[in-house]
Amino acid sequence: MTASRELPATSMPGLSRGKLAALLTLVTGAACLLLQDFAPWIVRFPEAWTLPATELVGAGLDAVLSAIKPVMRAWSWLLSYPMSWANAVLVGSPWPLIIGAFTAAGWYIGGFRMASLTFLGFGFVLLSGYWSESMNTLSLVSVSVPLAVLAGGSLGILANEVPRIRAALLATLDAMQTIPTFAYLTPLLLLFGFGPVVGLVASAIYAAPPMARNVILGLERVDPEVKEASIMSGAHRWQQLFLVEIPAASQQIMVGVNQCLMASLSMVIIAAVIGGFNDIGWEVLLTMRKAQFGQAFLAGLVIVIFAIVIDRLSGSLALERKRHDRRVTWGLLLSGAVGAVLLALAGADTAPDGVFSAAAAAVDDGLGAFTATHGATLDGIKNSAMFYGLLPLRIGLDQAVLPFTWGFQWTPAMSLWLFAIAALVGLGLAATGRQMAGAGLLIAVGVVETGIAELPWPFVIVGTTALAWVAQGTRLAVLSAALLGLVLISGLWDRALLSLYLSGAAVFACVVAGGALGLLSAVSAIAWMIIRPVCDMLQTIPLFVFLIPTLMFFQIGEFSAFLAICAYAVVPMIRYTRHGLVSTPPEMLEAAVSSGATPWQTMTDVRMPYAAPAILLGLNQTILYAFAMLVIAALIGTTGLGQSIYLALGQADVGLGVSAGAAMAILAFIADRLAQGFAEERRKALGL
Amino acid sequence: METGRGRGDALISMAEQPAISVAGLWQVFGSDAASAFRRAQDEGGSAREIAARLEERGHIPAVRDACFEVAEGELFVIMGLSGSGKSTLLRGISRLVEPTAGRVAIEGEDVLAASKARMTELRRSRIGMVFQHFGLFPHMSVIDNVAFPLKVGGMGRHERHDKVQGIIEMVGLKGREGAYPRELSGGQRQRVGIARSLAGDCSVWFLDEPFSALDPLIRRQLQDEFLDIRARLNTTIVFITHDIAEALKLADRIAIMRDGEIVQIGTPADIVLHPVDNYVREFARDVVRGRHAKVGSIMRANDDRAARDTPGLRPDMTLEDALATCMAHHEPVAVYDDVGNLLGTVDPQDIASALKADGG
Repeated sequence: MTASRELPATSMPGLSRGKLAALLTLVTGAACLLLQDFAPWIVRFPEAWTLPATELVGAGLDAVLSAIKPVMRAWSWLLSYPMSWANAVLVGSPWPLIIGAFTAAGWYIGGFRMASLTFLGFGFVLLSGYWSESMNTLSLVSVSVPLAVLAGGSLGILANEVPRIRAALLATLDAMQTIPTFAYLTPLLLLFGFGPVVGLVASAIYAAPPMARNVILGLERVDPEVKEASIMSGAHRWQQLFLVEIPAASQQIMVGVNQCLMASLSMVIIAAVIGGFNDIGWEVLLTMRKAQFGQAFLAGLVIVIFAIVIDRLSGSLALERKRHDRRVTWGLLLSGAVGAVLLALAGADTAPDGVFSAAAAAVDDGLGAFTATHGATLDGIKNSAMFYGLLPLRIGLDQAVLPFTWGFQWTPAMSLWLFAIAALVGLGLAATGRQMAGAGLLIAVGVVETGIAELPWPFVIVGTTALAWVAQGTRLAVLSAALLGLVLISGLWDRALLSLYLSGAAVFACVVAGGALGLLSAVSAIAWMIIRPVCDMLQTIPLFVFLIPTLMFFQIGEFSAFLAICAYAVVPMIRYTRHGLVSTPPEMLEAAVSSGATPWQTMTDVRMPYAAPAILLGLNQTILYAFAMLVIAALIGTTGLGQSIYLALGQADVGLGVSAGAAMAILAFIADRLAQGFAEERRKALGL
Repeated sequence: METGRGRGDALISMAEQPAISVAGLWQVFGSDAASAFRRAQDEGGSAREIAARLEERGHIPAVRDACFEVAEGELFVIMGLSGSGKSTLLRGISRLVEPTAGRVAIEGEDVLAASKARMTELRRSRIGMVFQHFGLFPHMSVIDNVAFPLKVGGMGRHERHDKVQGIIEMVGLKGREGAYPRELSGGQRQRVGIARSLAGDCSVWFLDEPFSALDPLIRRQLQDEFLDIRARLNTTIVFITHDIAEALKLADRIAIMRDGEIVQIGTPADIVLHPVDNYVREFARDVVRGRHAKVGSIMRANDDRAARDTPGLRPDMTLEDALATCMAHHEPVAVYDDVGNLLGTVDPQDIASALKADGG
């Protein structure tokens, strides 16, 4: 009696949620396979059944946008003032003064180390010949960051003060970060017209959420006794907030400022695709289009160095409380000013031309020679990855295996054999008690045979819904089904599957490679010493720059996009895997060792299960990173939603841009919740 | 009425109104706790039945029908295990959380009815509070932490710094005014916490396990200093602890809490000699009784049966000392107060049995 009451009402006796879900997915898949010849609408959702969603969204948005357009144009006009001032200061000031000022700031914040980093970084920028472009970018950042800090900070405080709107606000912040950046460039373009203000506003929108999040987190984490002490001291609410809670949370808030800066920089550079401003991102794009990879690489390097300097400066502002000698600060500033005056007197006060243009040309030539001699090898790598990995995943073995690629032709008989073998192995696994593994194998074989882009829609929806049900229960299941249904009838389904395929392939590669690297870093201190700075750098680089090296070697195409996505999305997987593995409590390890476990047994039986929640969170991050990069990678040739969003930007098609962006956000949202649900479940199971 | 350790009890009978009075205080947690409590209360029954009903419906009655009074100048200790509701009770009295039901009066003023502004005023001028983990502001120096209540009260920088100088000296932090909390040891941090709670010249002082987070040696030192400070300032004190030894050492009276309920209120001697149930007895078990029970607790008052022997007993002597003094006596002995009035008698056999008995 008692036992039956403890079971959830929905599960049948003897079948866990997971098994039920797997079974349901399998049955749907099998039914689709059997019925596809009789009812083609099962594989491909008939166009006649779709709604003209993009047109509807476009018309609706157009009405709204044109209504608020005058207000926004006024805003645009207002914003152009601080921007032109920032521009006048940064571009107008002689370069020795700017370098002196930043080096002085570096000294004040972080002593000799920061001062020299700043000096060398800005020195490189100067010598690269991209000084004025860089200062243009910096002036955009310097206006958008205060905007984002102000907006994000107020949102964070609002969420802290009004707990009722907190959940809604956090959901909005989620959305602001999952909606691909290009998607809201299109409506902004309509609102503000071409020009730098769009980039400014877009980057403020993009950079505000991390600020708000950190403010919320910081205020939440203030020691409750500190809050109580301020109440008991007789402070008013605003005194509590501004005299105690915000200063006590300042470290977390500065982390927010740091993330805000990085996000803003990244977005300012991405916003260069709409052009209209002679900044460093535009330079990269321009040289990339002209296939001047040496120059593109140089400009990309300038961005990277810029990003590193800004990141480390604002990072140590958050971490270190110690401030360094003011006299040195003034001295550095003064020497900058003196340098500026001297140069002006000598009549050489403009930034020098690049001294690296010869080097860039040499890189170009070298690259040309390299691709000429090793072109076959590079093509070989690319083709085998495409033929044996990406293509089968995309269109399935039944179409990807051709005499031209694999040397033979796939026949329906082979499919039959494949399914028969998989079914046998699956049954064998099930008979020995591993029903989940058996079902998983069958589903995986089915997906590879069919190809992700060709999967029947009932299978995708039922499978995802079942997975959501296992991960978080009925609510997420219903939500996922509804959201996917929305994508289905909007007519964006095919493109969504293509996006799913590319990001899925990249995530899979990241899990394998990142998991292995994370494991290696966990067991070997030397490996971590090498991998860590690489990870740091990969996370600092603005998204855009990832495209340059892959493009240099593998030209435009899906494989380059795939590599760029992997390079960006692999980092969290490495970090979280390592972190999970090394944070096993030492007592637990000692208990394992004293029980007689070998290092390998300790790893597989103790450390890995303990690290599972952390690794799942890493997977979650990797998925979100992959989706973020997918849209950027559209610049160098992907198909799917990313491409639609990019095209919409070019044609100023708000409807397409926004609906494709929303579809992308839906995919990212569902993937995010799934991974988080499983991580949460593991954490609970471990009692963490 | 017990007569025991002098001051507190004397004041209870003398004072016209208690400094703090708490009546029927309930703190229920859970969704829509207030109406859930009202419903449970309307169904009638004792506090225990109401609490049981609330628990059954998924609510948490963290404090149940707390009633007590604290006299002016008294040191009232609330003791209980973790989770017994003692900190929640204190937060209800200070309105850091809003109590679900009941009445709290501080110096005659109904604080639960006080407006927000009035509460702020009370906290600035009358109530001080010390926290278990100190609750220091990490971004302020020692002197700024201590002067914070004056700052939010609108006092100028120089004035408030001058004013807190004396308090900083009193807690022994002279010379460390410019230090930041992270540069201080645990004991020093709590001295800052104590100084800050005193900055507003409070007349009611709440201390929430102030010494629990400290090492035993530092704890004892701070307890002694606390008693010194207490002797200097005539504040009414509510002191929370989970340590019976600390409670017995400091208290005028002790309230013992279990599962949100106050199970016994009494003087230290009461708690040790006459525990109301096994729960309280368990607490008292490890205590050397003779050191905490006083002669007054076993004295027969106004007993003028001869009592020829006068070995010089006083009502506030511990039983241990008393036993040593009247080892040789077999007849009841007289007890006198400080000025030589006869108060009553004590039978040496009572002393022996009080020390021996397991309280049952």
